[in-house]
Amino acid sequence: MFLNETQEEVRSTTRSFVNDVVRPAAEALDREERFPAEIYDEMGKLGLFGIAVPEELGGPGFDTLTYAVVMEELSRGYACVADQCGLVELISTLLVRHGTPEQRKMLPDVMAMKRKVAYCITEPEAGTDVSGIRTTAVRDGDGWVLNGGKIWIHNAPVADTGFVLARTDKEAGNRGMSIFIVDLHAKGVERGPKEHKMGQRASQVGALDFQDVRLGPDALLGEMNRGFHMMLSVLDKGRVGIAALAVGIAQAGLEAAVDYAGTRKQFCKHISEFQGVQWLLADMAKDIEAARLLVYSAAMKIDRGLDATRACSMAKCFAGDIAVARTADAVQVFGGSGYIRGFEVERLYRDAKITQIYEGTNQIQRMIIARELLRKGASA
Amino acid sequence: MKILVPVKRVVDYNVRVRVRPDGSGVELSNVKMSMNPFDEIALEEAVRLKEKGVATEVVVVSIGVPQVKDTLRTALAMGADRTILVHATDDVNQDIEPLAIAKILAKIVDAEKPQLVIAGKQAIDNDMNATGQMLAAALGWGQGTYASAVEIDEGAVLVTREVDGGLQTLRLKLPAVVTTDLRLNQPRYVALPAIMKARKKTIEEIDLAALGVDSAPRLTVLSTVEPAKRQAGVKVHSVDELISKLKNEAGVL
Ligand SMILES: Cc1cc2nc3c(=O)[nH]c(=O)nc-3n(C[C@H](O)[C@H](O)[C@H](O)COP(=O)(O)OP(=O)(O)OC[C@H]3O[C@@H](n4cnc5c(N)ncnc54)[C@H](O)[C@@H]3O)c2cc1C
Repeated sequence: MFLNETQEEVRSTTRSFVNDVVRPAAEALDREERFPAEIYDEMGKLGLFGIAVPEELGGPGFDTLTYAVVMEELSRGYACVADQCGLVELISTLLVRHGTPEQRKMLPDVMAMKRKVAYCITEPEAGTDVSGIRTTAVRDGDGWVLNGGKIWIHNAPVADTGFVLARTDKEAGNRGMSIFIVDLHAKGVERGPKEHKMGQRASQVGALDFQDVRLGPDALLGEMNRGFHMMLSVLDKGRVGIAALAVGIAQAGLEAAVDYAGTRKQFCKHISEFQGVQWLLADMAKDIEAARLLVYSAAMKIDRGLDATRACSMAKCFAGDIAVARTADAVQVFGGSGYIRGFEVERLYRDAKITQIYEGTNQIQRMIIARELLRKGASA
Repeated sequence: MKILVPVKRVVDYNVRVRVRPDGSGVELSNVKMSMNPFDEIALEEAVRLKEKGVATEVVVVSIGVPQVKDTLRTALAMGADRTILVHATDDVNQDIEPLAIAKILAKIVDAEKPQLVIAGKQAIDNDMNATGQMLAAALGWGQGTYASAVEIDEGAVLVTREVDGGLQTLRLKLPAVVTTDLRLNQPRYVALPAIMKARKKTIEEIDLAALGVDSAPRLTVLSTVEPAKRQAGVKVHSVDELISKLKNEAGVL
């Protein structure tokens, strides 16, 4: 109803790919914690990476709403696959907005997943509070020398290129950080082991260590000392993406629960005939629809150039919270089976939890919503 | 070689079809519609022949309501070079019968002069399985139905057909009509950039009236009903009881 024909078509083509290729693979990918290179290869060919990259730079040039639709559909199949799409979207948005013509030349490889990227912000002492980063890039001739360490970086064990936030001016706080494009095969780059996670286990997450890594003059992305602000400028879009990813997880749980309730029998009846189960399903459906509408509304605000900060935080926070609560309900509908490995809802519940943590924790989203309310007033 | 592919917009195969309360047909308003899956296979085959350098142009035609344009855009995104919409009605509930469709397609064939028509063997809405055959008759061309393999060979098309007891291969002189079965190919997923590019191509539009075809219905739908609900099974307590029921009640022994 909210989508135009093009967005509907993107949704239906993504959905058939996901139904045939992604969703059937999710169980094994979770069990084996494996990087699904073959799926990413195919997604690259279908144009499912770099959704908003303009046509003149080789992308499909879609808007944020279309991106959100793709994220929900991919995540309905498997959240890790959507998270990879979200990661490439952020990196390609940064390249399109701030990259030099030379730097943008990597876009086709990034969008084909021939060059795997990582977005490297978090450090042991700097999680929510990004201003605490200790990684430094110090001027050296016409380039820089990079020292420091990042943790919990998606793709770190496999990536070719890192987009690394580093301090370039010790005194200048948030105005003293810059983003560097770093060859992760270069001398001085060490990769930590792959982390074993509660959910989204096919995503390869780990640490990166930089010791006297030499960066050339073309390594700087955008303006010097503006890294923090560049990062903030893609946050809204990142949050819409993660919100849509959360909706996709919850939607998969709802579908599984409705199917199961219509086949499982107890007391000689389908459990769907018991009001106790019906109310679980009804609450799942209404929260998921509400979250989806928050996502659409936030995405449309971005597309229309309106102030979207509050809307994006509301979408991210609400969608993450209901993804956890409603996949827990899906487990409940399945009873004991829902707690057993191999049943989709068991995985969905684990996959959902991180959506309350990454891309800004839900505490921080509430803080932002409140700050916006108190600054700009309560009207919609 | 030019290939013409007729496609129909039908209720999406994932939709649970419901009968309209007055029994005049099935619910078609506010229902997700998409390209008939057999027609997707036909278009995929045509596009592959073009990619192999065997065909030079793929033209897709559809007959129906203005909303058919959505389906034609999908066809463009899948690789069709041109698309034609024949405006036949504004009523989404009006189905145009195979005979009329065949006559309209024959007019399009006269104008476009393709060497090959590849059509779906049937549309999944009414399962008529008639249009391709009627078109071949109207044109006086050879026909190869239920194709599971198609190969072009010096002015002819080799069509492998799935028949009872095995595979039959026909050699048809071109021009010819081929209708596709499920196992001919696996249609591609449409790539996102192709969707965007397809939006910029135009869809040629023709009014049915301009073709001078008599499309008046010859069939009358008397009623449409839901399939009968499956009865619950019975549990038997012994093999003897089973055999007796199979003999006396089911009458299969
Ligand atoms: C699977 C996974 C993938 C990740 N991928 C990446 C990646 O690709 N790149 C990257 O840079 N990072 C990545 N991260 C890191 C992620 O962004 C951080 O974990 C997140 O920002 C939170 O930081 P933290 O873990 O240090 O928690 P902390 O900041 O230590 O927070 C701990 C708790 O305190 C709360 N808290 C903190 N500050 C406040 C406050 N002011 N008011 C109220 N509550 C507060 C938080 O909400 C949280 O509940 C990833 C993490 C995981 C687990």
